[in-house]
Amino acid sequence: MTADDTVAGVTARPIDTDGRISISLRVNGREEALRVRPHHTLLEVLRNELGLTGPREGCGVGMCGACTVLVDGRPVSGCLLPAALAEGHDLLTIEGMEGPNGELHPIQQAYVDHTGFQCSYCTPGFILTSKALLAELPDATRDEARAYLAGNLCRCGSYVKILDSVMDAKERLRGQGG
Amino acid sequence: MDSHPSFAPSGTQIDKVPGMLDANLRVRGRVPYAMDATLPGMLHAKLLRSPHAHARLVSIDTSRAKALPGVVAVLTGADLANRDDIYPYYGPIFRDQAILVIDKARFVGDPVAAVAAVDLDTAQAALDLIQVEWQELEPVLTLDAALAATSIVHDEPARLGQTFADIIVHTEADTNICNHFKLRKGDIEAGFAAADHIFEDVFTSPPVQHVPMETHNCVAWWENGTLRLISSTQMPFAVRAALAEIFKLPQTRVRITVPTLGGGYGAKTYPKLEPVTAVLAQVTNRPVRLHLTREEEFVTITKHGMQIRMKTGVTNEGKIVARQSTCHFNTGAYADIGPRLIKNGGFGTGGPHHIANVSVDSYAIYTNLAPAGAFRGYGVSQAAWAYESQMDMISERLGWDPLWFRMQNLLNEGESIMTGEPMVDAHFKELLATSAERIGWDPDQKASRAGSKVRAKGLAVIIKASVTPSTSTASVKLNEDGSLQILSSAVEMGQGAETTLSVLGAEVLDLRLDQVSITRPDTDHTPYDQGTSSSRNTYSMGTAVKMAVTDIREQLLKLGSDALEVAVGDLEVVAGQVRAKGAPTRAIGYGELVRRVRAGNLLATAVYASNGGLDPETGQGIGSVHWHQAAGAAEVEVDLDTGRVEVLKYHAGVYAGRIANPAQCELQTEGNIAFGLGQALYEEMIYDGGQLQNGNLADYMIVSMEDMPKEISLDVLEHLESHDIHGIGESSLPPCMPAVANAVFRATGVRITDLPITPEKVLRGLRAAAGQEVNA
Repeated sequence: MTADDTVAGVTARPIDTDGRISISLRVNGREEALRVRPHHTLLEVLRNELGLTGPREGCGVGMCGACTVLVDGRPVSGCLLPAALAEGHDLLTIEGMEGPNGELHPIQQAYVDHTGFQCSYCTPGFILTSKALLAELPDATRDEARAYLAGNLCRCGSYVKILDSVMDAKERLRGQGG
Repeated sequence: MDSHPSFAPSGTQIDKVPGMLDANLRVRGRVPYAMDATLPGMLHAKLLRSPHAHARLVSIDTSRAKALPGVVAVLTGADLANRDDIYPYYGPIFRDQAILVIDKARFVGDPVAAVAAVDLDTAQAALDLIQVEWQELEPVLTLDAALAATSIVHDEPARLGQTFADIIVHTEADTNICNHFKLRKGDIEAGFAAADHIFEDVFTSPPVQHVPMETHNCVAWWENGTLRLISSTQMPFAVRAALAEIFKLPQTRVRITVPTLGGGYGAKTYPKLEPVTAVLAQVTNRPVRLHLTREEEFVTITKHGMQIRMKTGVTNEGKIVARQSTCHFNTGAYADIGPRLIKNGGFGTGGPHHIANVSVDSYAIYTNLAPAGAFRGYGVSQAAWAYESQMDMISERLGWDPLWFRMQNLLNEGESIMTGEPMVDAHFKELLATSAERIGWDPDQKASRAGSKVRAKGLAVIIKASVTPSTSTASVKLNEDGSLQILSSAVEMGQGAETTLSVLGAEVLDLRLDQVSITRPDTDHTPYDQGTSSSRNTYSMGTAVKMAVTDIREQLLKLGSDALEVAVGDLEVVAGQVRAKGAPTRAIGYGELVRRVRAGNLLATAVYASNGGLDPETGQGIGSVHWHQAAGAAEVEVDLDTGRVEVLKYHAGVYAGRIANPAQCELQTEGNIAFGLGQALYEEMIYDGGQLQNGNLADYMIVSMEDMPKEISLDVLEHLESHDIHGIGESSLPPCMPAVANAVFRATGVRITDLPITPEKVLRGLRAAAGQEVNA
């Protein structure tokens, strides 16, 4: 995304008496009209305004990946991105991963089958980053996955089974023809 | 994974134990944590914290903050101290921590005022409007400064709380000594007299933080005179007891519920931010949420920084005949559970060795740093860092193979451990031998070099207690359709407690897992548990659950005997039915039995309480209901140009007794490797003048996926004949640090005795040895 024009768009907007501006976000395929303070992050808005509790704060400085949101398919730290700058982009949270009837995405199913988590606080971030990885590198090697997922931290240390999950998910997606 | 894929639970109804019963919710991001609870009218709290390590509170002016629109309450320590209906102190052993600073701040980050406001932005803005006048005092920032006692962190008499069965308090007035644990086994002087060689070394390790991805948080509200809390705690009953004491209420007027936790690792034991949140909820009469930032989490509770002076006497035959340890654990500004931890860390220095003469003096020392408390490994990490490093140092000095030297001294069945009790179910030698084999240990090949990179291997083996005595209770209900409900206060924090306890309960009645449910802790409805800590849940709560379900089975057999007119001894329970042995058609379902006697449900409750305790002067007695055992082996590669250490391979061996949940045994052991390698190589809270310099995840490094060894192997050892289940949540952690240090030494000749093993320290060591050939 280019920050300049979007920032210009934000500053042009009226700020109400509660210090809020109107924005519109496309989250998991739905347009959401919102009133947010200009400094509110995408993470705060997803959790507090939209009730999406899958993205979670872990560090607040973009280092842990627990707040990962896919912005036009790319993993972004929701704790760093002002919500207003996410306007006009396709946002995907973990809540948007499952199918229309609640069926798990093959990546989610792989994490279930390998128990690729312990406390699972970081799991939504890992699954979304895994999705971006396998979209970008459908034939990712284990080493490539290690490098790609290094920006997501799991303090329980479930890394071996997370990698097992991702490698299995790769095969499942391939079986689906991508 | 090479542990035990053949594992299957007893009974016929569970083919495979799932890692997590609610995995489906977890991958959808829909399993609720405490911070996800939003109540109508809920306020948001922020804390103003001391900028000084040690300072007397002179005055505090909150008037401008209170006047800010949207602020509902601003509280100070004086507000609490002036109330007759509140006891403003807490702490599990000493009531040394004020809910908000009353007399003086004792660390940078000590909460001095609390704000509740309609939103976080407003609460944050209000903090900036509070004016505090401080009189700075001489801060106590190091163990040496604390022992010199020119400045005293706690200069008033200790306020002791209820007695703990296993904690001996030796506090010394007008010093910074918070507690002193003593152990005297055999005759230490005679032991050293019998030694051919005596070695004395000093080991240190820094404070580190647990870094649960979910920081501490809770929501408190008052409902018709009852305090309600949803909290991210490992110990709902300890929190309830503390809050009942603070508010001078019967425990029936405090109700704690605990959802799943986003990690704990010891950080969430005992009350932390619940007291201040509860007071805010009381004065505002609205629900209040307090959710710490990552920076605040770093100063809420830490692992004890430590210094251990260890003196060990050995004979020419390779037997350890005496060990004397002086341990100083930096417990920070408030005791928390430090007075107990120094006991485990202290007797832990005896190690998994059979030593006839042991003397330990272990101290918890107050300083003006963030408080230290329970941390995965509970003192044993610090102790094992000392003794397992020294085992290799002694081997090097005497020209011995470190594996051989360990094997001469590891406890055999029945030999006395440091507390004087006989070792039961000893597996140290087996665990270590397997570790050595799996890493390809070769005593004759110390290191191999390619260019600037040198590779070598290191070993370690440890012993660890589980808190003893301790108590777990469980209630169970068998419904009129034959399904089973388990009421337990075990906290699910990622270790799979709910799954494991469900399996242990289901197999007693040969039920399917979907016929079993388990509650989350609710102090109004689930019976007492001491806490989910100390690797005790699977053993202690598991035993209570099995006892209660066994009671149900006996009730069913009696009812079945009447119904089928078959003697109890000729009956069995299979797949939800009581049936005659050898005559499977002569059977009746559990549900039908419940309905026939119009019981509504069958009920049973069980209490499991372990026994033990140590003599206050000698530290002799029963230190643990059973002893956890683990070994580790690392292969490292050291870059001689940069000093960087990479762990290429790691093998962890741990004794499980019986595996109840295979996936979780693997996950927790792999997690211990991640935790342990982080502490070996990266983790350290760095202070400057009492100010934490790296209290955030940009500057404080925890292990990421790329830091994990590419080759990991596990040996989760079963020994079904022992009929015992050991918790495995911590034991395989402490070997990591010394195993890596020992490997680094074999690679480079550089002995690091101060964690973490940073490139700077390795390079300094290499340069100090400059002129000598690096081992290759």
